[in-house]
Amino acid sequence: MIQLALAVVLGPLAGFALLGALPILRRSGLAAGVVSSTVAVATLVAAVALLLGVEPGAAPVIAEVDWLPHQGVAFARLGLRVDGTSAVMGAVVALIASAVQVYSLGYMASEGRPSIGRYFAWQSLFLFAMQTLVFAPDLLQAFVGWELVGLCSYLLIGFYYQKPSAAKAAVKAFWVTKFADMGLLAGLVLLYRETGGFAWSGLQPGWTATAVALLVFLGVMGKSAQFPLHVWLPDAMEGPTPVSALLHAATMVAAGVFLVVRTWPLFEVSGPTLHVMAWVGALTAVIAALTATVQDDIKKVLAYSTCSQLGYMVAALGAGSPVAGLFHLTNHAFFKALLFLAAGAAIHAVHSNSIRDMGGLWRSLRGGSILFLAGAAALVGLPGFSGFFSKDLVLEALVGAHLWGPFALAIGGVAITGYYVGRVLMVAFFGKPAKDHGPLHTPAVMAVPMAVLAVLAVVGGAFGGRIATWLGGTYHFHLTPEGIAAIVLALSGLGLAVWVHGWGGGRALVAAAAPVGAFIRAGWLDRFYETAWRQGLLAVARGAGWFDRYVVDGVMNLVGWSVLAGSEQARRFQTGRAPDYILAVVIAFVVLAAWGAVSGLTGCGGAP
Amino acid sequence: MNPPLTWYLLLAAALFAVGTYGLLTRRNAVAILLSIEIMANAVNVNLVAFSRFLNDLAGQVFTLFAISLTVAEVVVGLAIVVLLYRDRDDVRADLADRMRG
Repeated sequence: MIQLALAVVLGPLAGFALLGALPILRRSGLAAGVVSSTVAVATLVAAVALLLGVEPGAAPVIAEVDWLPHQGVAFARLGLRVDGTSAVMGAVVALIASAVQVYSLGYMASEGRPSIGRYFAWQSLFLFAMQTLVFAPDLLQAFVGWELVGLCSYLLIGFYYQKPSAAKAAVKAFWVTKFADMGLLAGLVLLYRETGGFAWSGLQPGWTATAVALLVFLGVMGKSAQFPLHVWLPDAMEGPTPVSALLHAATMVAAGVFLVVRTWPLFEVSGPTLHVMAWVGALTAVIAALTATVQDDIKKVLAYSTCSQLGYMVAALGAGSPVAGLFHLTNHAFFKALLFLAAGAAIHAVHSNSIRDMGGLWRSLRGGSILFLAGAAALVGLPGFSGFFSKDLVLEALVGAHLWGPFALAIGGVAITGYYVGRVLMVAFFGKPAKDHGPLHTPAVMAVPMAVLAVLAVVGGAFGGRIATWLGGTYHFHLTPEGIAAIVLALSGLGLAVWVHGWGGGRALVAAAAPVGAFIRAGWLDRFYETAWRQGLLAVARGAGWFDRYVVDGVMNLVGWSVLAGSEQARRFQTGRAPDYILAVVIAFVVLAAWGAVSGLTGCGGAP
Repeated sequence: MNPPLTWYLLLAAALFAVGTYGLLTRRNAVAILLSIEIMANAVNVNLVAFSRFLNDLAGQVFTLFAISLTVAEVVVGLAIVVLLYRDRDDVRADLADRMRG
């Protein structure tokens, strides 16, 4: 079992090393992609075999080695921890990564050859980083994987680094997540000080536990794009579309939610942190969904949708249900990867990101449209589709925890989700074509991964029971009042979108909502960050400049000036005339003689 | 009747003070050399007086040595004065202040 896990983690590293070390292979274009994809698929096979081999409820299998031993005591442990949580996540990650890589063989085919090699090398590294995090036996290794994931995101978001907007987006993603990671790092240090190790269990409830959990959660907020640190995620759309699919479904943003599930014992002992998480998650779910309703870029709609869905996951975790969180994470991985890949197919065919330019894809791109519809149905939570079951479980958890505020927000978000998904469908797929596209084509290498994901997006709900048992809980679907309410709200949101964007109804409503849309589009949070950052940085820089000029330089100048002035005085003694020196000798002699005479008379001090 | 030791010592001290005064106040290099000579001889008076009163000839022998050394010293000193004169057309010691800081 450990061998399988080792293969899952080290396979992608080998792929990366191969592409990295062999320039001929890396610059060969699609051959590099084939190598990388093969490794990813092999990783998937190993991960699934590993998952099937894990007995629900069995003790975790851990294999680790000492890392940085000092005087016989290891600073931390490096290794693999195989249990239900890591096996499920490892399989999901490997699945999405292989689907994305195979899909990329078609999507990226028109790029330059070295670019393709670079792309796939980063993809392999990304998969390795994520698996390192997933199978980490303690928080320190998780942190290493976590940072590698952040690095790979940076590299892939900035894949088109010639484009200034892409370079900026990459830097922004890096900075925002790094800012949040300061919290995670501080949490790690605090944990180490408290327990002398990086294990995530064994912390006693108390203010320290709460501080650690809150600090770790700050890192999660950055990585999983929770309000108000979600600003990097929409900009991350500058990367190639398959990268977005990977980022949004299984790796970057999922890492945050996964970390909470993984380190659940840390959060379990901290009630206040859970409360904060529930509110942050629910707020994110609503705010991001609202923002998604006014986006014209299909990828941005999906990006804000990811934010919103991550909000649900975090809210579920806040409600004390890691099962609901991981279940929704898994289903979301299936349908969001599918949605992105299908959107990528549309973009690939139309050569535009705007839903206004698409229009009528249902007629010109039938296959891709059906796949997108399947993903959309799962996202909205139509009964029977995967998203329905997990979102229902999230809502149920919120009700169960009596978190009525977050629950109200979350269930309101369901209606908004229905609306923005309906809007995209109406405008991009069923609306009047903006121009005559003619029949559009999707290569088979892109279609197959999407088909696999589509099947999973539809039937993903069936895995709920297995996931729950793997995590040591139980799950049986039953229709609850909140579930019925969610269905009604989702359908009404969808209906509203069809009415407004399909039939052109509700002109007055659209006009009334226009200021809200303008407000959202204005990007106040981005402006706030920019202003705060710039002004804050400038103020600090000015202060530092003043300090350097007047305090540091001042002290230096004072020292120099006093030496000069002192020697100016001292040189007056050096007349260069012999009689003056003799006079000094005579005076010294007289003084010493007088001193000797006085001390000799009084009998104290002086020479013995 | 011979004068007591104290008188000799007072004479020597007076000579030494005169010499020091001259050393400090004279500007002429030759006068400075003369002052030094007076100071050296003040010491010689001391040596001879002690030699006489302690009945120890070593003091007088030492004085002879000192006199001959003083002569050598005067030779060197006068040589310096001559060089100074050639350099500056003057023998005032004040002018030899090249070492001023």
